[in-house]
Amino acid sequence: MGYLRAVSPFLGAIVLAFVMQFGVAPMFGAYYQKLLIDIGINIVLAVSLNLVNGFAGQFSIGHAAFMAVGGYAAGAITYYGSFHVFGDALVHHGQGDVLFLAATLVGGCVAAVAGWVVGLPSLRLKGDYLAIVTLGFGEIVRVLLQLTDDVMFKRADIEAASVGTLALALGGALGFGGLPFYTSIVWTYFFAFTLLVIAVRLKTSGEGRAFLSVRENEIAASAMGIDTTRYKVRAFVLAAFFAGIAGSLFAHEIGTTLNPRELGFQKSFDIVIMVVLGGMGSISGAVLAAIVLTLLPEFLREAASYRMIIYALLLISMMILRPQGLFGVREVWELYRRPKVSRPQVRPPGSLP
Amino acid sequence: MSEPLLDVSGLSLAFGGLKAVTDFSLKLHKGELQALIGPNGAGKTTIFNLLTGVYRPQQGEVRLGGRLLNGLPTHKIAASGMARTFQNIRLFGDLTVLDNVRIACHLRARAGLFSALLRTPAHVAEEAAIREKAMALLEVFSLADRHAELSRNLPYGDQRRLEIARALGTEPKVLLLDEPAAGMNPQEKVALSELITLVRHRFGVTVLLIEHDMALVMKICERITVIDHGVTIASGSPLEVQGNPAVIEAYLGAPSAEGH
Repeated sequence: MGYLRAVSPFLGAIVLAFVMQFGVAPMFGAYYQKLLIDIGINIVLAVSLNLVNGFAGQFSIGHAAFMAVGGYAAGAITYYGSFHVFGDALVHHGQGDVLFLAATLVGGCVAAVAGWVVGLPSLRLKGDYLAIVTLGFGEIVRVLLQLTDDVMFKRADIEAASVGTLALALGGALGFGGLPFYTSIVWTYFFAFTLLVIAVRLKTSGEGRAFLSVRENEIAASAMGIDTTRYKVRAFVLAAFFAGIAGSLFAHEIGTTLNPRELGFQKSFDIVIMVVLGGMGSISGAVLAAIVLTLLPEFLREAASYRMIIYALLLISMMILRPQGLFGVREVWELYRRPKVSRPQVRPPGSLP
Repeated sequence: MSEPLLDVSGLSLAFGGLKAVTDFSLKLHKGELQALIGPNGAGKTTIFNLLTGVYRPQQGEVRLGGRLLNGLPTHKIAASGMARTFQNIRLFGDLTVLDNVRIACHLRARAGLFSALLRTPAHVAEEAAIREKAMALLEVFSLADRHAELSRNLPYGDQRRLEIARALGTEPKVLLLDEPAAGMNPQEKVALSELITLVRHRFGVTVLLIEHDMALVMKICERITVIDHGVTIASGSPLEVQGNPAVIEAYLGAPSAEGH
């Protein structure tokens, strides 16, 4: 019984993913179906970044770099793998989907390793300093990807090339074109719902509370036996894993180009904005913000070039009107509880840090 | 007497040229309640920070139950059985009262990240046990009915008591209380001293207390160590310390040479 309860939400994620594909998506045209995928990917990005910025309180602004690492790794595997298996890089449903799933998980793992590497300096840095490191990491990833060789497209060349050569043939500044379009609503929402189950379970468990304690007060957390370093790194690794998965979904989506510029710091800021707007630490807030901020530029398509101005205005007014984000740290299902009027914290006379 | 539970010897720390703590020694036996007093800036909190690994001692040893704690990170020292409260309250403000205590209880939890994500039966059972333990602790501190409130919304005295409850959540052998009565009114102080005595007997913890309120210290402590400018100037029973000229001098100043 207990084990059924353990896995049933994950099974529910699969069922819901199919409902999204065959129940919800047919109600819309192709354009909105793509939008649905974009929303799903942004949900994965926002909810995963929320693990770092919201739960563990470490301000990272390099999330798109993890997305790029995962996307490129997964893209290289499906693209060059397809040539080896099928002889071309077209979509082959069935076997190809298995290849895509494997590539996506590998992409997630590669991004997770990158997350671990970036997580290590976070042991020593706080606040703005950490933000600068993550920003720098994003730029390093972007520049390295721009330096890669052109994509190979001849079957004979690809079969003759070594893995090392293929791993460097990622398209450089032009981007990695020609990837098969495996990303569907089912895949996107399978990962989105899985991440949501994980995030909610994390938030409501001792492990998740350990994350939160690091955000709240690091000194007190370690005095209570929380290994703050370990939890920060865990947050980074877990978030990077899902960013990598989102990267793979993005890479294999119709109508996107996987190129270094696309996944630069602009994209990182977009994700940060979603987390801040939703409320740092609120999972449902991140989901809602991801939906709103994906749709907003579409509704403002005529004013597309003013998008960033509107973003900025939105953020500024949010910070003035609701500095804690839409939901603060709470979840949508907790909102019925009236917030207590917060009194200014009383400090004892002569308190020392 | 038997081996002391907490054995501190020759502890020293200097910040550049400033000697914050010099050659501090203390023996705390199981079940004892000792106090550490001294004027403002004497180095009391620095000693707590040395004991809990926030600062590394430059000289000297800290042993808990015979185990050397020098150089261990704070969370490992907490795991070995030393818990503390903070002079300037450091609660997890945006979390509920219950969560504050549950986080402390997490130290003794066994189930890891993956069992949390999979919600294994072992994890579910442990979560229930932690909740029960935390609620029982809050009950002792009469905070149980406020368990769902954000801790920063608690009145000041409740926040001080929640800090003690949270520290006890780690199941410590030694509890370090850093000015638990600071900012409390006389009635609250009386209630607190009763609470400290109760906690000590009920949870079997050994307590080291930093406190300014002499009446409170004299009433509940067996032994007092007085420090000034990081140097131990007296140590003994409340009566001995009270009459010690060095202590009177530290608190009231030396009689001046001109004699006015």
